[in-house]
Amino acid sequence: MPFERLLVAVDGSEASNRALEKALELAALTGASIAALAVEGPLPAYAATIGEVEEVKREKDAFFGRLADEVRAHAEHAGVAIEVEIRPGHAAELIPRIAKERGVDLIVLGHRGHFLRDHVLGSTADRVAEHAECPVMIVR
Amino acid sequence: MSSLALSNLALSNLALATILLGAALAASMISVELGISVALIELGLGVVIGNVFDVATPEWLVFLAGFAGILLTFLAGAEVDVRQLRREWRASTAIGVVSFAAPFAAATAFAYWGLGWTSDAAQICGLALSTTSLAVVYAVLVETGLNRTLIGKRIMAATFVTDLGTVTALSVLFVTPNVWFIPFAAASIALIVGLPRIAPAFFRRYGNRVIEPEIKLAFVGLLLLMWLGDKAESHAVLPAFLLGLALSSHYASHRTEQERLRVVAFAFLTPLFFLRGGMSVAVSALWANLGVLALLFFVKVIPKLVGVFPLAQRYCAPHAAFTTLLMSTGLTFGTISSLYGLNAGIIDETQFSLLVAVVVLSAIVPTVIAQRFFQPDAAEEARREAVAPAATPALEGERS
Repeated sequence: MPFERLLVAVDGSEASNRALEKALELAALTGASIAALAVEGPLPAYAATIGEVEEVKREKDAFFGRLADEVRAHAEHAGVAIEVEIRPGHAAELIPRIAKERGVDLIVLGHRGHFLRDHVLGSTADRVAEHAECPVMIVR
Repeated sequence: MSSLALSNLALSNLALATILLGAALAASMISVELGISVALIELGLGVVIGNVFDVATPEWLVFLAGFAGILLTFLAGAEVDVRQLRREWRASTAIGVVSFAAPFAAATAFAYWGLGWTSDAAQICGLALSTTSLAVVYAVLVETGLNRTLIGKRIMAATFVTDLGTVTALSVLFVTPNVWFIPFAAASIALIVGLPRIAPAFFRRYGNRVIEPEIKLAFVGLLLLMWLGDKAESHAVLPAFLLGLALSSHYASHRTEQERLRVVAFAFLTPLFFLRGGMSVAVSALWANLGVLALLFFVKVIPKLVGVFPLAQRYCAPHAAFTTLLMSTGLTFGTISSLYGLNAGIIDETQFSLLVAVVVLSAIVPTVIAQRFFQPDAAEEARREAVAPAATPALEGERS
């Protein structure tokens, strides 16, 4: 079997939806197990009030809760069992780390262009590809 | 400051209000785009406005910023988890008291003997640099999920104790007792004891209306404290903080009311507080005193490290470095203390600029180091607490 464990990164963007689509196809084709990882980005840095932090956290929880439901429904429709994990942190650091912890042998993620950030820091996909210890499939 | 000013532009009240609210709007948008606290951006834009326009701070802005500072203090008290504090009182008191006392003593002594500041100015320096930021700590803990672990809860409770030390000292150190102190103390006690008792019935009868009687009730209480505190030549931060604390359980079960209060505060009042603070920061004074700025930063951080680290080793092992760095952060109460000193004529603009710059640095530098090099894995920490309580013997017996 070419791949046994897949990890797909999801964030609700068009690119990530395309990546999920491809990952589900691949899982159905190979019979690999598949997990989806949604990384909640950072909260407002250096906040002066707890209210400011709580509000953003609440928005993120609601958004990622909905996203997890959508991913499960999508997978069910494709006839694939999927495990969805929501973790706080930085996507570029967390995706390779979780992949390593889970013994994943393919990471699938979308490529979303952000002109300024990509030129300054490199895209999340580039950084995951650079740091991952397993093959990475970037879906455009 | 004048060297940087474009001109001695005379701004009318309306022009200044427009510029300030425009800056508040820009700060909100930048905050959302960059993921950085709106308060830091408001402070930064305040620095730009103050230095570019060379504008005198009008009375109405001083008043509104002063009220916003008291409101921020009240909100900070209302955000305390009292049950958590009770559970963790031993560890949090030990860490919190040292976290306040060590930098307060060191910074006061350094400002008085090392920098030649007056005794009162040195104490303002000590207070501004003694704080730990509840919100900065909270954001780091929530972001990592550590707020659900024992260590996270302990750090939050200790942060509250430190801030309680700061507001108590700010109210006590500069009081000049006169006959007005009696009504000030009586009103403080009456509000702190009485408001939580009448709140449920009051909110049931008058709550959930767009005319917001419940917010007006809180504002009247805070303004009364400010007025009597002013007459008593004291400061309303301590009773405002304790009033918030007394109402925290009520707000915990009535989140919508707390949200509405936050909306009013964050939409209009707190931006004026941070913008006004930034406006009084003189860039030229900072530039001319970069060495003093660095020294003051170390005078805040080193006593925190030396004082808190041994206690953190005992109560927050194996994450003592992470705990100590978080306890070294500061922002809101540091700014409130500095602004009080400036408004009361205790410190001058240069001293204020230095203190606010150190406070902002202390919000950023320890946080970045803690997150980059010492951040525990929350899932691993939760597993460790669940399976090996004996590995942290100091925690045993307090867990229940």
